[in-house]
Amino acid sequence: MSSDTTQHAPDAARQEPPRGFFAGRSELVLALLVAGVGAYLTIGVVTMDVPPGARPPGPQFFPVLIAIASFVLAALLAVQTFRHPEPASAPAAAPAGSAPRYRTHSDWKSLSMVLVAFLAFCLLLEPVGWILSAALMFWAISYALGSRRRYFDPALALVFSSFIQVAFSAGLGLALPSGILEGMF
Amino acid sequence: MDSLDLLLGGFAQALTPMNLLWVFIGAFLGTAVGVLPGLGSAMAVALLLPVTFSLDPVGAFIMFAGVYFGGLFGDSTMGILMNTPGGSTAIATTFEGHRMAKDGRAPQALATSAIGAFIGGIIATTLVVFFAPRLAELAVLFGPGEYFALAIFAFVATASVVSDSVTKGLSALVIGLTLAVIGIDGISGAARFTLGVPELFDGVSIIVITVGILALGEVFHVASRIHRDPVLTSIAISARPYLSKAEFREALPAWLRGTAFGVPFGVIPVGGAEVPTFMAYGTERTLDRKRRTPKFGSGAIRGVAAPEAAGNATSGTAMGALLALGLPTSATAAIMLAAFQQYGLQPGPLLFERSPDLVWALLASLFVGLVMLLILNLPFAPIWAKLILVPKPYLYAGISVFCALGVYATSAAVSDLLLVFGIGFVGFLLRRYGFPLAPVMIGVVLGPLAETSLRNALASSGGDATVLISSGISITLYGILALVMVYGITRKIRARQMQDV
Repeated sequence: MSSDTTQHAPDAARQEPPRGFFAGRSELVLALLVAGVGAYLTIGVVTMDVPPGARPPGPQFFPVLIAIASFVLAALLAVQTFRHPEPASAPAAAPAGSAPRYRTHSDWKSLSMVLVAFLAFCLLLEPVGWILSAALMFWAISYALGSRRRYFDPALALVFSSFIQVAFSAGLGLALPSGILEGMF
Repeated sequence: MDSLDLLLGGFAQALTPMNLLWVFIGAFLGTAVGVLPGLGSAMAVALLLPVTFSLDPVGAFIMFAGVYFGGLFGDSTMGILMNTPGGSTAIATTFEGHRMAKDGRAPQALATSAIGAFIGGIIATTLVVFFAPRLAELAVLFGPGEYFALAIFAFVATASVVSDSVTKGLSALVIGLTLAVIGIDGISGAARFTLGVPELFDGVSIIVITVGILALGEVFHVASRIHRDPVLTSIAISARPYLSKAEFREALPAWLRGTAFGVPFGVIPVGGAEVPTFMAYGTERTLDRKRRTPKFGSGAIRGVAAPEAAGNATSGTAMGALLALGLPTSATAAIMLAAFQQYGLQPGPLLFERSPDLVWALLASLFVGLVMLLILNLPFAPIWAKLILVPKPYLYAGISVFCALGVYATSAAVSDLLLVFGIGFVGFLLRRYGFPLAPVMIGVVLGPLAETSLRNALASSGGDATVLISSGISITLYGILALVMVYGITRKIRARQMQDV
C-alpha cells in the first residue's frame, strides 16, 4: 500500500512518529482504487468488440456513465483526504500515554500472515488436497490472530478440515477438491 | 379469504418434520451470526448457498428465512450486554439497551428486544400475506422507466442516507456497479471487461462478491486490529429475561409505533433497516421528553422496544417486496434474490402464479421461524451471550475456511478463490477507511436491473430521456427519494450540531 506500510522499527513505536506528507493521508489509496476502476472501464469501453447491429444505447453506454462517475468521485475523495488527514495516532480508544503508539493504524504483520495463509491455500488446494491445505490455513490464521497452543491448534485444524471433507462427501455427495463438482450444476 | 386458504396450504407444507428442521437450523445459525459482532445474516446466507444446492428450493428458502430473521433477533444481544451492536440495525437499540443493562436490568432489556422483534416481524409478515399478491398486481404496471427509477432510488438512498459521507457511499456504489458490468452483455452479446479471460465471461458470481466483501473482508479487518483494540467485557446476567405486566404495558405502544415505522421501509429501498430504526428511536425520544418523568438517558424500555420492532418489521415487508416485485431492499434480500436465480426462479409478479407452493410455504415458514426465534431467544439469551467466549482466533480461522469452501464448492475453480481474495482485500480497505459496504452489494445486485431498464427505456423511446419521468409512478418515486434525502441531510446536520455542544 502507500508509504505507511514500511518497516516497524521497535523504537519508532515509542517516539512521536515523523509526519511526512502522506501521514494520515493513506486514504488516497481508495481514491486511486476508484480512479483505477474508472481507467479499467475506459480501456474496456475503448477496446470493446461491439457486435454489429446492437441497438443504441449499446453495451458501452452504461459503463461510460460509471466511468465518468468514478473519475469525479476519485477526485472528490482525493480532495477530501488532502483537506482532512487522519489524526496522527490511533483513535482515542485507550487513555493517552497508556497504550503504545503504532506507526500504522493497521497491524500489517498479523494481516499479512492472514493474507499469505489464504493465498497459499488457493495455490495448494488442487495439488495438495482439501484436508491438508485447509488445515494449514486454519492453523496459520489462528496463529496470526494470537493463538499459541502448540499441539492443540494443528490438531483442531486437522479435525476441522477433515470433518468438512467427510460432511461434504458423505452428507452432500460433493468431493473436495476435484472436478466432480462441475457435473452437478 | 383467498390468501388465507393459500397460507393454510403453505403451513401444511412448512410444518413437515424436515422443513421444521430447516427452519430450526436457519434460526439457530441466524441468531449465532447475529450475536457475534461484525458478522451478519447476509454473510451467513452467502456461505450457506453452496450447501443448499443439494436441497429442494423450498427447504433452502425456509432455512434462509430463519437465518434472515435470526440475524435481527441476535444482533441486539451483544449491543445490550457489551455496547457493541452485532449489526447496523442494532445501533439504535444499543443506546438505551446498554444503559438498562448497566442499571442491572439486562434481563428486561433482552426480553423487550426479543418480544419487540417478534411483534414487528409478525405484524409485517401478516401484512405481506394479505398485500403481497396486490403488490404483485401493481408490479405489472412497472415498465423499464419505473424499474430504473426504483434502482436509482435504491442507489442514491443507500449511498447517501445510510453512510456518513455521500462521496464514500457513492464510491462504494461505483465499485459494486463495476463488478456488475463484468461479463457478457445480455442485450448485445458483447464481452465486457473480461480481459479475454474465459472465466469472467459469466461475470463475477454474487457468492464470490458477498463472501469477499462481507466475510473475508471482515476476517482481514479483524486481523489488522485484533492485537490493538481494547478487549471488551460483557455484563453478566443471572436472571432469565422477563417483563412484568407494568413493563409490558409500558413497552407495548413503542413496539406498535416502531412497527409502523418499519413496515413501509421494507418496500422503499433505503439499504436495510437502519433508517427506520433510527426514526423509531428518535420519535420515542421526542415523545419521552413530553412525559412528566422522562426516562431516556437512564435506560428507557421504550428506547429498546421501538427500534427493535422497526427493524424486524422492515425485514418482514422486505420479504414481500422481494417476492412480489423482485426488488431486494437489503444485502440479505439481495443474496436471497441471487439464490432464487440459482434455482432458475425469478421473483416478481409471475412467481406467485408459477410457484405458488414455494411462495406460500416460504411465507408460512416465516411465521414458524418467528415463533421459533422467540423461543430460542427469550429464555436462552444468556446462553447466546456465551458465544462471545469462543476464542477469536478459532472463530475467524473457521470463517476463512468456510469462505474458501463456499467459493470453491460453487465453482470448483481456483480462479474464483483468487478473485475472492482480491475482493476481500478491497473489502478490508473499505472497512479500514470507513466506507459503507451496503452500497457495494446494492450496486452489484441492482446494477443489471438498472442498466437493462435504462437501455430498454431509451431504445423504445428512440433516445428520448424524458421517457424516464413520463409516468406517475416514477415521478412519485423520485419525489419520495427527494424526501428521504432531505430527512437524511437534516439528521446529519442535527447530529453535527449535537456533537458540537
